[in-house]
Amino acid sequence: MWRYVFRRILLQGVPVLLGFTFLLYLIITIAPGSPVTHLRGVPDLDTAVIAQREAQLGVDQPFLVQYGQWLLRVMRGDLGLSFDSARRPVLELIKERIPATIILSLSSIILGWGIGIPVGILSARYQYSAFDYLITFFAFIGISIPSFFFGLILLYIFALNLNVLPAGGFFMAGEPHTFLGYIRYLLLPALTLGLGSIASVARYMRSSLLEVLNEDYLRTARSKGLQESIVVYKHALRNALLPILTLMGFMLPTIFSGAVIVENIFTWPGLGSLAIQALNERNYPVIMGINLMFAVLIFLGSIIADISYAFADPRIRYE
Amino acid sequence: MKKQLVLVLLLVLIASVTVTAQEPPLQGGTFRYGTTVNPRGMFNPILYTEQYDAYVIEVVYDGLIEIDAKLQPQPKVAKAWEISGDGLEITFYLHEGIKFHDGVELTAKDVAYTYMTILHPDYTGVRFSTFNMLKGAKEYKEGTADTVPGIEIIDDYTIKFSTERPHAPLLSSFGYGILPSHLLAHIPVAELETAAFNLSPIGSGPFKFVEFLTDQHVTLAANEDYFFGRPNIDTLVYQKVSQDTIPIFLQQNRIDFIEIPPDQFAQVSELDHIDTYIYEALSYSYLAFNLRQERFSDVAVRQAITYGFDRQLYVDVIREGFGIVANAPMPTASWAYTDEGIDPYHYDPKQASDMLAAAGWTPGSDGTLQKDGEKLEFEFLVPDGSRLTEQMALLFQQNMEDIGIKVDLMFMEFSAAVDRVDAREFDTFTMSWSLSVDPDPYGIWHSTSLWNDPGYNNPESDRLIEEGRLETDLQKRKEIYGEWQRVINHDLPSMFLNYGVTIGALNERVKGFDPDPGPYGPLVGRRLLSKIWLAD
Repeated sequence: MWRYVFRRILLQGVPVLLGFTFLLYLIITIAPGSPVTHLRGVPDLDTAVIAQREAQLGVDQPFLVQYGQWLLRVMRGDLGLSFDSARRPVLELIKERIPATIILSLSSIILGWGIGIPVGILSARYQYSAFDYLITFFAFIGISIPSFFFGLILLYIFALNLNVLPAGGFFMAGEPHTFLGYIRYLLLPALTLGLGSIASVARYMRSSLLEVLNEDYLRTARSKGLQESIVVYKHALRNALLPILTLMGFMLPTIFSGAVIVENIFTWPGLGSLAIQALNERNYPVIMGINLMFAVLIFLGSIIADISYAFADPRIRYE
Repeated sequence: MKKQLVLVLLLVLIASVTVTAQEPPLQGGTFRYGTTVNPRGMFNPILYTEQYDAYVIEVVYDGLIEIDAKLQPQPKVAKAWEISGDGLEITFYLHEGIKFHDGVELTAKDVAYTYMTILHPDYTGVRFSTFNMLKGAKEYKEGTADTVPGIEIIDDYTIKFSTERPHAPLLSSFGYGILPSHLLAHIPVAELETAAFNLSPIGSGPFKFVEFLTDQHVTLAANEDYFFGRPNIDTLVYQKVSQDTIPIFLQQNRIDFIEIPPDQFAQVSELDHIDTYIYEALSYSYLAFNLRQERFSDVAVRQAITYGFDRQLYVDVIREGFGIVANAPMPTASWAYTDEGIDPYHYDPKQASDMLAAAGWTPGSDGTLQKDGEKLEFEFLVPDGSRLTEQMALLFQQNMEDIGIKVDLMFMEFSAAVDRVDAREFDTFTMSWSLSVDPDPYGIWHSTSLWNDPGYNNPESDRLIEEGRLETDLQKRKEIYGEWQRVINHDLPSMFLNYGVTIGALNERVKGFDPDPGPYGPLVGRRLLSKIWLAD
């Protein structure tokens, strides 16, 4: 198995990441707008200062030179310095924020799978029951409602009207960091981000299980007198879970990009506001750094999904 | 109606404040100042460029002078100053015994270090042009001289700055925080911007820097040994808030003060424990004409367009009254503002049509005006992101259609729009300017200036702008700028849309602020943070 992982990373991961970063750098440099646009706010400026800044940032160089220099630095483990006035290392900017983004994403995944899978199973077992229709109804709402809107609704109810949960943010200055505190701050953003996953996991789980339940071997199982619950949970479920695992690999990018939006609504101290700010300001090293990191995480996520296949399905072996 | 209501509200507030102002200030507590954008972590007064870093810088450092609510320089680290008769020399006399947060005394050496660094050839910031008129500054910057004759330490507590020519805006530029040279002088100037100091600053101001938690908050503690008296509050926190959740943060008492956008005014005013303050800002919005194009080089066309746009409706309805119709680029908040001899260009589509007809524009077959076969049709570049601006653009398009002018709206992401403006590839565009304390319009409106986007070039305007820089007498300078406003009000190189207003929301437990706020609001640009106190 380790050989398989190694091969995937080397033969698939490296070329994909190279191509991805090349294209991304190309797109952000040919897009209109310049990293020195923010100097517009400074009256009395002369062109020499702007030229000097452009030279310092290296954006006066042709695209291939800029990309090449960036790539060389990355290979040495250096993501460069941010283009904004503080010139902080991009790696540091990401390190400060990534834990919050990962906590939020993981919680929403746990919510999504933890709620979505059982709901999907029940929905399939009691197909066409009132419960099933109710779940289908809410699942479609969950899939179609935009996360920023759902987030604002939650804030409106729980923070503004009921005043039982904070209006976003993280621990206030001087507030002790308790476990309950984490839950209080995490609940609304995780629910907002997880809503889409809950809904789609439930729908996928339902149809996947229904498909399996109609297979011949399950009819055999039933006909030899097995209880329905054993039929469903022991024989059908494992097979029905396989497509859901693939789904996990696919949903990671959606969750990360969703996090960017949700974090902005909830003042959550993750990568979200940094990413949006960097895009608006054409802060190339920060845009590249964040995207590279997401790309790596998503790639690793897809490997993990593939490996977990082997656990769910004994027929699959990676040699 | 709304305005009256606001006025009444304001009067009630002032009345209630004057009553409570009699109580002796209480000590202690945490004051939370809300901001919608996180600081960058460049807490260095000569290198920062973002307003949100300035929030921290302003309370950690003190400058030679500070700017009061009426935008006039007042003594701070310098207990007094003296301007020579010819206006070429400013001598600052420093207080003795002011200490940096690490206990080292602040002297003229630190002042010299701060301003010399701005002039240094390797300096990476953007403030050189603010001080390039100091004697010998250019030679030093170019590396042909090792010293700046224009900065002279007389003794530990006296420092003299001199210029070749009088430069009136210079005095109010001396508010930059003074850096501790004993902690920084050994760092090469080129490496200053990546120095660890910038993230854990040490100044001589009322608050000591404690911690900066990215995208959460910046915490500062009262400086017990502050030369000008310990602040009443113990802790000052700049708390990041997402714009959408401002009203809830206020309601939950998670912030004590924040500037709010106009569309949250109604919701925030309903909160019992929050008082709102409306104050005129040093900013204006405009619609710039590209004067390099023949049609816009005719002043009659620019004036007609201005007559043809109902700016009062825009301010009253779209901005819900939060703004003041502007007719020159000098905000009402500035001491140089005048309305004397200023044409208000009241909405008058008939007048607009008559002027265009007189200028030779006649309706074509499709109703659009034309002259010599060319239609009066142009593109209006609108940076997106602001609902108010987008609605203004739609109103403008409709108003122009009424007088036979076809406007093609081009909504564009801000940075991309700036690209087009810089390349002069625009017909018209809209943006706004935030101005500094001194009214000197040179950087934006002089014919040689980088930010003169419309391409305005009137020798009379240039002459007045230059004269204004040379005149150090405030009253005479005010008259010069009055004259200049009349010139630009006639020429209209841009159509001026509105002067900005700021809305501040303050928790009523906060006392000791300025009940009659100038452009800097009730906390007077955070200067009052060392004087306010908390009632509970």
